[in-house]
Amino acid sequence: MYCVRCGVKLQEGEENCPLCGTPVWNPDPCEAQRSYPDTLPRHHRESDLPGAVAFTVICVIAVLVTLTVCFKLYGELRWGGYVILGIALFYVMAVLPRWFTQPRGEVFVPVDHAAIALYVLYICLKGGEHWFLSFAFPVILSSCVLSTAMICLLKYVRGGRLFIFGGFLILLGGFTVLVEFFEHISFGMQMFRWSLYSLTAFGVTGLFLLAAGLIPALRHGLEKRFFF
Amino acid sequence: MSKNWYRLDTAALIFPAIARRDWCNAFRVSAGLYEAVDPAILQRAADDMRRRFPFYFVTLHKGFFWYYLEETGRGVQVHQDYAYPLTFMSSRELKRNCMRVLYYKNRIAVEFFHSLTDGRGGSIFLCNLVARYLELKHGISIPKEGLICDWNAAPPDEETEDSFLKNAAEVAASRREEPSYRLHGTREARGFKTLTTGIVDTRSLLDAAHRYHVTVTALLAGVMAESIIAMQDAEKPRRRQRPVKITIPVDLRRLYGSRTMRNFSLVLNLGADPRYGDYTLEELCSTIYHQLCAFATPQNMAGMIAANVQPQQVVALRLAPAALKNIVMDAVYRKSGESGGCLNISNITTLPLPDVMSGYVERMEFIIGPQRSYPNNCSVLSYGGKTYINMIRSIRESELERRFFSRLVELGIAVEIESNRR
Repeated sequence: MYCVRCGVKLQEGEENCPLCGTPVWNPDPCEAQRSYPDTLPRHHRESDLPGAVAFTVICVIAVLVTLTVCFKLYGELRWGGYVILGIALFYVMAVLPRWFTQPRGEVFVPVDHAAIALYVLYICLKGGEHWFLSFAFPVILSSCVLSTAMICLLKYVRGGRLFIFGGFLILLGGFTVLVEFFEHISFGMQMFRWSLYSLTAFGVTGLFLLAAGLIPALRHGLEKRFFF
Repeated sequence: MSKNWYRLDTAALIFPAIARRDWCNAFRVSAGLYEAVDPAILQRAADDMRRRFPFYFVTLHKGFFWYYLEETGRGVQVHQDYAYPLTFMSSRELKRNCMRVLYYKNRIAVEFFHSLTDGRGGSIFLCNLVARYLELKHGISIPKEGLICDWNAAPPDEETEDSFLKNAAEVAASRREEPSYRLHGTREARGFKTLTTGIVDTRSLLDAAHRYHVTVTALLAGVMAESIIAMQDAEKPRRRQRPVKITIPVDLRRLYGSRTMRNFSLVLNLGADPRYGDYTLEELCSTIYHQLCAFATPQNMAGMIAANVQPQQVVALRLAPAALKNIVMDAVYRKSGESGGCLNISNITTLPLPDVMSGYVERMEFIIGPQRSYPNNCSVLSYGGKTYINMIRSIRESELERRFFSRLVELGIAVEIESNRR
């Protein structure tokens, strides 16, 4: 049997050409000779299970010690709440991905931001303050959207790294202005005390990267000078 | 009794450092017999190999400063093959064994973590394993000559030497190279690797190579480069294209007369830059052939060896902990390790087996796994008048294979295709 498109000889029983997928017309069908079994390996990727278990045990012990110390000394949580939630935050950010064989950035970054938001909410409520909704939440949400978008673009868009990084830096500059704006409406602080400096620095760097992406001569010059 | 241990050779140092949670550098050599393999006898043959090749029955461990290999007290357990070759070797597995002996129907395969040896060393081990298997199975006597060794004898010291250290030049050659075009595609789920084997008549392949006045390796590299150039043409305008270079490993044993069974090969990135104009197949083959002749010289390779050897002789680097070295080696590899080539064509030419074995061995194959940053690779081995061109990929698209094998057909070389695709 031959593939009519590629011209290669095929194994008896093949239904399609392995190269181009063209269906094979076989007047005398027979079972294909399999050169490999169906058995798949159990693991195709290593998860960091021992590390995850070890860190989980350490975190649980740290939480138990904190609870014991607080209740022995004060009969209540007091600062223990900050410590325990801090440990929980560390666990979500550093240990949780270790349980997974393929931790996805676009999933874990929003999860991490949610954990940060909860921790900050606890701090806000514990101190009897009211800046969470007007300051912390929008800042964390903007950071979450920005970083998740960056990760998705890097992961799913081929090439154009200079444009992605350039655009990200410009948006990062805009983000600093946004932070100062929320600072202004939450705490009554004066606008544009510091964010214009960061906006300028990030903006200029971002524009430079965009220019390098657009102008091959500039890009090659940079590659040549900064090769390592 | 303390177990023997070995330092990693110069080329092997990089492989543990660049391994990932779903990828490590490994290769496979296999032999197809005329009859079904008996696993019990294969197990006995594999156990017998421990005396002659103790340096392959090892486990990988991390010392404070360097990784090292330690002889395993257990030997290797033979088991049935998987749905695809070169399934992932986890660090946990490497702590038990750095080599696998597999069987399926009439095939005996051995997979090596690349820190143990290169294709040449691996294929010599396979020949000896198959010879011992045939001796045990059929009670025949196979002469201990050529590639076949006395399985009962201890290995000479020269087989375990790091030949890189002996042959380095005083001055290192530059590693600097422009990045090549990067092949890409949709990753297969669960790490599946598709193997496409093109079986061609060695005589007709040689005739085609001679028509272009080049070697078989140069011809295959030329056809591959032409296929990749066509793929790049279909993807982007010429001024935005990148050089198309084929990574060709050079067996240094022939250049320096070494008998080491550990790694002793280096790669050259050879090809053409499509931005400068069109190339005919003849021009591509000729360019690659002449580049190969010009670069694969003892003097030039000594400079390239020095580039690998010299960094490990810097005291400050030697004293750095292994974890820190891993980070540095990983960064160097990311920058210059694979960027120079589009894919490998690794040709270990022919494996001359004793006549008494050829009545039992139908075919021999050599397969290298996909690299970390590019999804296709190609390996070639000739045996019994046939050449087995194995193209492996970790992506779904078979465009490169289609172009490559169709072009061979156009050159008048009849190609028979086998695949593990499902």
